[in-house]
Amino acid sequence: MVRAVHYLNQFFAGLGGEEAAGTPPTRLDGPVGPGRGLAAELDGIEVVATLACGDDYFGEHEEEALARLLDFLEAERPELLVAGPAFGSGRYGLACARISRTASERLGIPALAAMHEENPGVAVANGAVLIAATAGNVAGMREALPRMARLAEALVSGRALGPPAQEGYLPRGFRRNELAEKPGAERALDLLLAKLAGDVGSEVAGGFDRVPPPPPVGDLSRALVALVTEAGCVPQGNPDRLPTIRARGWLRYELGGAPRLEPGRYESVHGGFDVSLANEDPNRLVPLDTVRTLVAEGRLGRLHDVYYTTTGNGTPVAAATRFGREIAAELTDAGVEAVLLSGT
Amino acid sequence: MAWELASFPAELMAPVPDLEGVDVQVVRGGEPVRLTHVLDAVEPRARPDGRSAFPLQGCAGEGRTNRLDDVVVFSCLDFPAEERTLHEQESVVDLAGPGAVLTPYAAGTNVVLTFGRRNDLGNEELEAWARGTTLAVAEELARPTLAAQSADLERFELGAVDPSLPAIVALVQLSDLGPLYYQFVYGVPAGAADLPRVVDPAELLDGAVTCGEYHWAALRNPTIVFQRNALVRALYREHGRRLCFAGVVLMRGYEQSAADKQRAAAAAAETAARLGADGAIVTTDAGGNSHTDVMLTVRACEEVGIRTTAIVAEMADPDSTSSGLTDWVPEADSIVSAGNAEELVPAWTPARVLGGDTLLDGAPAADPRPIPVRNYLGATNQTGQHALTATTW
Repeated sequence: MVRAVHYLNQFFAGLGGEEAAGTPPTRLDGPVGPGRGLAAELDGIEVVATLACGDDYFGEHEEEALARLLDFLEAERPELLVAGPAFGSGRYGLACARISRTASERLGIPALAAMHEENPGVAVANGAVLIAATAGNVAGMREALPRMARLAEALVSGRALGPPAQEGYLPRGFRRNELAEKPGAERALDLLLAKLAGDVGSEVAGGFDRVPPPPPVGDLSRALVALVTEAGCVPQGNPDRLPTIRARGWLRYELGGAPRLEPGRYESVHGGFDVSLANEDPNRLVPLDTVRTLVAEGRLGRLHDVYYTTTGNGTPVAAATRFGREIAAELTDAGVEAVLLSGT
Repeated sequence: MAWELASFPAELMAPVPDLEGVDVQVVRGGEPVRLTHVLDAVEPRARPDGRSAFPLQGCAGEGRTNRLDDVVVFSCLDFPAEERTLHEQESVVDLAGPGAVLTPYAAGTNVVLTFGRRNDLGNEELEAWARGTTLAVAEELARPTLAAQSADLERFELGAVDPSLPAIVALVQLSDLGPLYYQFVYGVPAGAADLPRVVDPAELLDGAVTCGEYHWAALRNPTIVFQRNALVRALYREHGRRLCFAGVVLMRGYEQSAADKQRAAAAAAETAARLGADGAIVTTDAGGNSHTDVMLTVRACEEVGIRTTAIVAEMADPDSTSSGLTDWVPEADSIVSAGNAEELVPAWTPARVLGGDTLLDGAPAADPRPIPVRNYLGATNQTGQHALTATTW
């Protein structure tokens, strides 16, 4: 049997209603309350313990509550955490989302939460946790438990899930292909005519992060400056096999005090633009020659003798964000105060 | 203008001519065949009045054109890598297996031309040879229709309609990123074709635009997508019913500077406004920075009061919940997804490979391994030709 732990709030764990909302994290043996119904539905999975916490306690002492709950959780050596169903209850849903997300991200324990699509816990989970869709209130319990059981079994077995509506989970944000009933052209016409009639709809959600510009560098003539690029500029022959698209990481190369990037010794492997002009003069990608001149003229302090490179082509935002953090951490350690980031 | 398109059965197809330096094979949809290094797909057409089916002068979209139903000519060519200016351009078509659904236009008879390398020609000349030959073969194959009775006849004409219907324009983006990466308008690269330019919608359906853009395969608009363009056809069909089809504007994509991008977007919006557009469908050609062109065009149109819907493909990592859009503006509140080009198609073993046995990344083309949708020709084409879309899981 696969060992599972179930998380409930004070009410569903039978510890009391609103008057018990300040209850600190508690461990109970086996399944409790809705956990009994869930256990009856589960095939090959045993609920070995129930963790419970008062809604107010979790909200007001989140870090402490999480730490205590994770201690309880680890001690059970579970292969699965199930949290809820929280239905439309906001405080309960937030706790379910947080403990599920933390268990999976920090401890690597697969987690399933359950709540209504409008529960604020859904935003907290932000696609990182599988959430079973439930009704907005406890009247949906009977429908929720078997659905949760099937999803829990899928998580444990590694079965690939079908579409959200079919399996009964809330969409997490992955974009999967399917064949629509009409070609895109006809769907576009329908959308446009509806928009002209005042009904705006879209098949793709927008919304991009806008990165606020940092404050200017105080005194460039004293600053240590580094060169970073997403132009796929690497030593000739691409010795470390930087991909032409969807790079999984970044690379760093020493400049060795060179005055410029010599044509024939560097090339771009970026798959998103015509690299002819870049390869004719790699300084067009990584402007080492100009920066050396600016240093010689005293307009820039010093140049960091390492440049960083990756291919910014089809890179998921999450991956690009990670590259940025990792590169920035190294540069900060090296005392770099400013970066010239060349994009393509 | 009025234009008639006559359809003829595939059985009328002429024998495929012998061509020096070109391997010619005829295969049918459903056969376990994979095509590799595919450049373009073209529907065989011929004109009874003797004019070219792919004219170099502005004379498409008038009179009558004959087409062979369910026949496609594919051109395959593996450009010498050392001269290739862009790195990623693998392009496959599977006639069976899980990838076949991505190229629905290959379900019938497929005439596959594999162009050999020639030491006397550079990449640009190789491309011109392959493109010219492919269009000529497509015309040759349809020639027997000139002496036959058509099975079906469609008439394309835009009459006067109820002036209260919303006026809709198609803004068709054509990219130009230099040789091997441009679309052709009457044989002229998009960047030199005086875009934006208003054309009669029938011109687009009648061979005025041909494909020479060989970057991301799935995001490519092969010639057949213009010949059979579902958007223009839908607009004709709805003309006088739900809308007034106010015209087609060919516009430039892949401008190379921010200022040029802004200018191209503003010029396209201005052209649509001159046509009296209340609304515009903005289509996309290729990926990456052409998506910025689309977003800027949407913004420019909305700013002059033209409501827009854009058609774009997504490139979302299958393992990530990050957005699959390269660019986005708040005005783009109405977007049709042509599918997620980054999704993987399950492994499949073809019994036969045409076009070249080795993929550009060095892997044997017959190896059963997952291939991203982005490598399937026209799979997520962004004129709305296919039903492929992406939904959120």
